[in-house]
Formats: sequence, structure tokens, C-alpha cells
Amino acid sequence: MKKLNDSKRTYMLITIPILALFVCFNTVPLIRGVIYSFTNFKGFGTYEWVGLRNYMDLFTDPRIGGSYLFTIKLAIMATIITNVISLILALGLNSSIKGKTFLRAAYFVPNVLGALVVGYIFQYFFTYILPGIGRALGIEALSSSMLSSSSTAWFAIVIVCAWQSIAMNTIIYISGIQTVPEDVYEAGDLDGATGWKKFRYLTFPLIIPFFTINMVLCVKNFLMVFDQIVAMTSGGPAQSTESISYLIYNNGLSGGSFGYQSANAVVFFIVIVAISVAQMTISGKKEEQL
Amino acid sequence: MRRKKGIYAVLAVSALAAVVLPGCSSGGKDGVTEIEILQYKPEAAAYFDQVEEQFNATHDDIHLTISSPDDASTIMRTRFVREDYPDIIGIGGDINYSYYVDADILADVSDYPGLADINEAYLDILEALEIVPTEGTYGVPYVANAAGILYNRDMFEENGWEIPETWDELISLCGEIQEKGILPFYFGFRDTWTCLAPWNALAVCLAPADTCKQVNAGATTFTEQYRETAEKCLELVSYGPDDPFAYGYNDACTAFANGEAAMYPIGSYAVPQVLQVNPEMNIDSFPLPASNDVSKNTLNSGVDLMFCVTAACEHKEAAYEVLDFLLEDENLQAYIDAQNAVPCKTGDFKLAPQLDGMLSFIEAGNMTDYQDHYYPSEMAADALIQTFLINKDVDQFLTTFDTSWQRYNRDIIREVQEYEEANGTAE
Amino acid sequence: MYEKAKAKINWPVTILLFIGLITVAFPLYMTIVIAFKQPSEMTNSISGILSLPKSWSLSNFSQAMELTDFWRSLGTSLMVTSVTLILSILLHSMMGYAVGRNKAHSKWYNFVYLFIVSGMFVPFAILMMPLAKQTAEMHLDNWFGVILLYVVFYMPMNLLLYTGYLVNIPIALEEAARVDGATTWRTFWSIIFPIMKPMHATVAVITALAVWNDVMTPLIIMSGKGTNTLPLAQLTFQTQFGTNYNLAFASYLLALIPIIIFYVLCQKQIINGVVNGAVK
Repeated sequence: MKKLNDSKRTYMLITIPILALFVCFNTVPLIRGVIYSFTNFKGFGTYEWVGLRNYMDLFTDPRIGGSYLFTIKLAIMATIITNVISLILALGLNSSIKGKTFLRAAYFVPNVLGALVVGYIFQYFFTYILPGIGRALGIEALSSSMLSSSSTAWFAIVIVCAWQSIAMNTIIYISGIQTVPEDVYEAGDLDGATGWKKFRYLTFPLIIPFFTINMVLCVKNFLMVFDQIVAMTSGGPAQSTESISYLIYNNGLSGGSFGYQSANAVVFFIVIVAISVAQMTISGKKEEQL
Repeated sequence: MRRKKGIYAVLAVSALAAVVLPGCSSGGKDGVTEIEILQYKPEAAAYFDQVEEQFNATHDDIHLTISSPDDASTIMRTRFVREDYPDIIGIGGDINYSYYVDADILADVSDYPGLADINEAYLDILEALEIVPTEGTYGVPYVANAAGILYNRDMFEENGWEIPETWDELISLCGEIQEKGILPFYFGFRDTWTCLAPWNALAVCLAPADTCKQVNAGATTFTEQYRETAEKCLELVSYGPDDPFAYGYNDACTAFANGEAAMYPIGSYAVPQVLQVNPEMNIDSFPLPASNDVSKNTLNSGVDLMFCVTAACEHKEAAYEVLDFLLEDENLQAYIDAQNAVPCKTGDFKLAPQLDGMLSFIEAGNMTDYQDHYYPSEMAADALIQTFLINKDVDQFLTTFDTSWQRYNRDIIREVQEYEEANGTAE
Repeated sequence: MYEKAKAKINWPVTILLFIGLITVAFPLYMTIVIAFKQPSEMTNSISGILSLPKSWSLSNFSQAMELTDFWRSLGTSLMVTSVTLILSILLHSMMGYAVGRNKAHSKWYNFVYLFIVSGMFVPFAILMMPLAKQTAEMHLDNWFGVILLYVVFYMPMNLLLYTGYLVNIPIALEEAARVDGATTWRTFWSIIFPIMKPMHATVAVITALAVWNDVMTPLIIMSGKGTNTLPLAQLTFQTQFGTNYNLAFASYLLALIPIIIFYVLCQKQIINGVVNGAVK
């Protein structure tokens, strides 16, 4: 009996302070954020309650709409590109090649580099190097900076985001492919499965859990994109690359729309939860089917 | 059991550290007053470092710290959000000042004797920036700047080009420059704020000085007042580089310094940046002649830097002593030399040769405050203008400007109207 | 026959993969080349920009080190990352143990588990403004506060990892120790904590990479006061000395070098750690 009490007390003594820490710096600010979203607080000075006005405004503000559109477009496009390339790379890196260890290690490098500095480097690349290459090769489309046109700037951000996250996704796919037992392929060989068919019907179904992980990781990270925007475009040109996080930071903290952007953040939170839940339900069902 | 105690000790020490650590940093020697200035011009950091050093070398009772961070406006806002106020803030005469006065963050400095030496015109500018008329003075204007067109003096002399005095002359000059195979203007529109430089310089000549206040009072709309400005702005950009949105402010300064363009529509504050790249460069400037009616043309000039004592400052006397030091002729002249600025203090100051072309306007007092000093920053008027310069759709831009204005100024408009109802001073 | 096919090296794929490596190497090559050049060497043509520098002078680097206060920034980065790591491993593994061993039979612990893990979905964007205010009110607008926040931010992920790993550790081990009269606390430190070593490595790698490269938290919590971390110093550097790209790139390279060295040294552990974190 005494033993039991001891362990119960220990568990509690561990849990309570750490939980308190978590509540203090995660739950409390979250609640305060929700409270501010009902005010016209500028961040300083006095403020008044404005009820649901901020939320109503969100739905009529083209700038907010634009930022959601851009962020979602970026997340979808970058997720697709990242996963396609990662899968191809993973298959390649998993086949019998020379210098396997070196290649795997080298392809992972972008993942350890800080997004801000990578953004600065790519900003230079898109402003000076790529147009230079375009002019040298006589390719009209490349000869002006991708970052200066609102129809292409978002794609430059997609490229940088993908460049960094492909590394991570590839490694995850590799560990997925390695879980596929050899005898599956042997059986496949007997059935005459080759190339695409082999991948589509043998490999892919078996690595679906890893595919799910990659999707969830990608979408969540890309929806919260911030550093790349700061480093490369500051939301321009023509406000075409203002991500939701960037807009909240920029207008909420330095722009004086603290209350309004809090409402934006609350909506953003709900969107992220909804997307994550949806993703997990869908992939959960898929896995069940198999 | 021993381990358990160990862990508790660690936790206790951490908790203690949380309380004690910040305490340590704020402590100072007895009898020495700490004064902190947070100023928003990172490009003047070297000057302020020097002032800080000199001040501390000559004052035993006050210790001065001046920080000049990058992205200072965000940092200032964040510190206000945290209610962690510096003693003195150095800001520009723009809407932030209006907000801070309105939020009672700033102290009334009308009892500061140094105000007597400040040019009345600049105090009036500050007065006009108040959202609703407020008793007292809340800032000490330090220097002003002027925005217009910087030009390559050597290039102009070689080709015998004249300084244009009307819009038509400016456009025909641009044509002449182009014929020589030289680019008339350079722009760095990737940094959105630089879009405001030509915009402001045009707007001061083409729209009433109190356009924004009139709109707030419901007397007019931007669609009515800004059309000509917008159209002329587009025309200017057509004489710039092919893709002005690819380059930032730094790129544009570098390009102008390297002689890639004859002119650069920007403020006088850009001169040090340009000279940093090409110290030998012979630069002069002139006000942008936006109108063909010479009498309408005015110099776009506003308070570039002023010092405000915060309401939270506990040592106003010491703060005034710091202000006195900053306003000493010698120190002010040093700032003017370093930053190519115009002093707000009356007296005999020597202006930089790069302002020669603007001198007659300055001396005649023919100056009008920047329109954008009334634009709320969260409205991102600079980005709206950038969008417009890319899309080139005047009507859509003006409509967007009007609707955004109503959205972001709702609280201000209501405050103004309530004030007018209460005071019966409807204009 | 199958065996033979496996041993044969697939040359076309090997070559393609080496060619593809250009996409990783090129930006780094560009950074290095520009970092060593002088502004006068930067002609307008790209061959001028991308050619090797005339001399491998370190002057850009020494200047950049001075301007970004490199050694102090590096020191701050190291300090912040290592303190966060130690606290995370200690606190999160303890928490993982307490919650993991009880959530199956206790509603309270199950609730705590779900409550904390769901914190993963809270975007930093909604926390940052209230946190800026709150940390200042609590006088935590300093590195200590930033570290505490990191410990909280990475708690959901790490708790998930530790409780997941704990499932694999047979409870019989602890029961044996308890029979010998050891307290729960002692059992944790002497038996469970050492067994969790692989997970400590994973947590350490994930947390370290995230903390090392993070810019936003210190930017908002400290707002320009105190010393910079390496990435934060780049942000400061960018606007102030942005005209000189050679200097800027030297500074970027300096910011990247420590993490690249770390990666080269512990490459295996890093890749394994990151994969474990994601897959578990």
C-alpha cells in the first residue's frame, strides 16, 4: 500500500509542475489571444470590446482572403512537388547504386540549414543568377526575376520550400521502402511486374503510412511558412506572397491591428485543426482498407 | 530520495533564476540616472553611438543608452505591447506619432525650454498629425528630410540638361535622356516603401495637403483627389528600368551610384547610402515638378526624426538634459552632415551640397508634409501602390484605396466625428 | 538469378543521382564563391558572378565576423540550444514516463496526454502576440524566457515520442526493481531513463535543429534586446549592410558552417533521429 502511494505521489509531482508550465505558456496565451480577438486593441493604449466585428471583417477583407489563398496554394503545390520528387529520389537512392551512403547524406543537407539564411541565398539566386542564365540561354520567361512578378513569385517560394523539405521526406520514404520485405518483390517478379506497375501495385500500397506522415508534415509546415517570406519577398510583390503567419506578425505586431489579427489567428488555428483532423481521418480509412 | 531532492533543487534554482536574472540587468550605480533612447533610424546608428559615448564621457549623473535596431518600428511596437517603455523614443512625424499621442504613451513636453528654438513650421506639422486636437506638445522635432529627385550632377553638366520646373519639362527631359541611351530613373520597388517616394512627391503638388483629414470628415474621396497623382506616377515608372520590382532599395542606390541612371526619385535620406557605394559621386537634387502650374509645385518635406519623452519616463529632467545635448548646434550639425538632413532648429546650419537644388524651396518655406504620414501602416498603402504600379489599373487602385481606407481608419473616423460632435467644430 | 541482379550496380540511376546533386550543391557553391569575392569582381554577367574568386581572401569573413559579433552570437546559439536540450530531455522524458505509464488506466493522465499532444496544432501565430505581452509581464523577456518557451513548444512532440517509446519497455523491469525496494523516482532514473537512450538521441536531434534555426521566438520575445543568435544576426545584418552582397554572403556562410560541421560529424545520428521522430 505504501509503495502504491509513493508511486502515485511521484507521478503527480512530475506531472503537475510540467503541466503548469505548459498551461502557462501555451493554454493561457491561447485563451488571451481569443479574448483579444473580440477587441480593437492596437497593442498599446486602451481598447474596447467590438464583439464579432473582427470576425465579420475577416470575411470581407480581400487581403486576408488573398493570404489564405496564397498560403493554401503554396501548401498544396509544395506538398505535391515535394512528395513526387522525394518518392523518385527515395526509389533511386534505394536501388543498387554506387556511393549510396554519400548520396543519401548529401541529399539531406538542405534540411539542416536555417530557412532564413537559405531564403536570403535564394533571393539573390532569383534576382540575379536565374535571370542571367535565362538571358544567356535566350529563354524569355526566365530573363526577368521570378520574385518581381506576382504571377511567379509564389512559385519561387514553392521551390525554396520544396528544396528544403525534399531532404526530409526522401529519408522518410527510404525508411518506408526498406520495410517492404524482399519476398513481395520476388512474388511480383513471378507475376511479371516491372517498373511502374511494380511500384504502383507492390511498393506504394506498403508505404502508405509513410506517405501519410509526409503529407501531414508537409501541409502543416507549409501552412505556417514564415521565414522564407521574410527573407525573400516580405509579402510582395503586390501583396501576392503574404502568408497567413506573415500577415499576423506584420500587421498584428508592427502594424497595430493586434485585435483584428488575433481574430485572424483564431480562424487560422481552426483551419489547421480542421485540415489535420481531416487528413488523419482520410488516411486512417485508407490504411484500414489495405 | 537524494535524487529527488536534487531535482527539486534544480527546479527551485530555475524558478529563482527567473526572478533574479532580469532583476540584475536593470540595476545601476547609485545616484546615476539611466536614460534609454530607442530611435528608429538604423542608418544613423554610427552617429548615435558617438553621441552616446560623448554624452556619457561628459555626464557623471546620467547614463545614456541609445539603441538603433533594425526594423525598429516593429521592435518599438512590440515593446509597447509589453509595456516596456524606453525613456525617449526617436520616431518620424507620421501616423505612429498620432497613435502614440492618442494612446497617451507620450509625455507633454511643452515645458521643455529647448522648444523655443524649434522652427514653428515643424511644430505645426506635429499639431496637424494629432488625430483630435490635443492640448500640449508631444515631440521635439530634430531634423526634416525632403523627397524629390536625386540626380547625377556630372551627367547633367556633360549633356547640358536643365533642371525641369514643370511636369512637361520633366517628361521632355526624360525623353532627351533616353535618346542618349541613358536610363532616366532607377527604382527599387521590391522594397515596397520606396514606392511612396515618387508617390508623395507627386501628391503634395497635386492633392490638397489635408486630403486625408477631409476624407475622414467625409468631405471628399481619394478617387477624386488622387487620380492625377496615380496617372503621373505610372508615367514616371515608364522611364525606369524594365523590371523595377526585381530590385530593392539597396540595389537601386547601388545602381544609381554606379551611373546606371541619371535620376533617382527618392528622399534626401538616400544620399549617404549612395555615397557609401560611390564616395566620389556628385549628386544634387530637385523637387519633383508635378504640376505645369509652377505656383502649385511644392517641396515634399516632413519631420524625419523627432524625440518624444514617454509618459512612463521617471526622470523628465534628465531626459531634457539629454535632449539639450542632442540639440547642441555642434551635434545637430554632425547629424546633418552624416545623414544629409535639414535641421528643425532655427540657427545657422550648413546644409549638404546635395540639397542645393532644393534650397530655394526650403528657404522660402514652400514645403508640404508627406501624405503618407497620415496613412495607417496596417493599411499597407505602399503595397497598394506597388500593386497598382504592377497592374497599372488606375480605377481599380483608387477604389481599393478608398475601401481600404474606410476599413483601417474606422476607429479614427469615429473618434474624429465624436470629437466634432462634442465640440461643435464641424469644419 | 535474383541475387545476381541485386548485386549489379545500376549505373544510369547512379549518374542521374549525381547530376541531381547539383541542385543541392549549386546554391552552396554560389554562396561560397560570392563570399570570397570582392565587390569589384562582381560583374554583371553571371559568368563573372559564378567564376572562382581571384584570390581566396578571408577579409570578407573577418569583416562579417566583426559586424555580426560572430563569436558572441555563436556562443548565444550554443548556450540556448544546449540548455533547451538538457531541459527538454530531462523534463519531457519524466513527463513521458509519468503519463505513459498511467494513461491506459487513468482518465486524468489520458486527459493530460491528449491535452498536451493537441498543443501540436496550435500555430505559433496565435500565441506570439499574447506571449510578447505575457513574457514581459513575468519579466521573462530574456533568453531564459525564450528557453522556457522552447521547452513548452516542443513538449507535445517529445511527449508523443517518449510515451510511444515507453510502450516497448516491458513493465516487468520496473516491477523487479520495485520488489527490491526502489522508489518510483529511483526506478525511473536508474532503469527507464538509460533505456530510453535511443529516444533521447532522437529528441535531442529534432529539438536542436529546430532551436538552432529558429528566428521568430527570440525576435518577438526579446525584440532586439540582448545578444543575437547566429540566424538572428543575419536578420540584423541584412538591412544594415545589404548593399554589399559579398559581405552578406560571407556572413551567411559563417552562419551555416557550424550546423554543417555538426551534420558532417553526427550525420548518422541526425538522419536516424529525424526519421525516428517523424515515423514514430
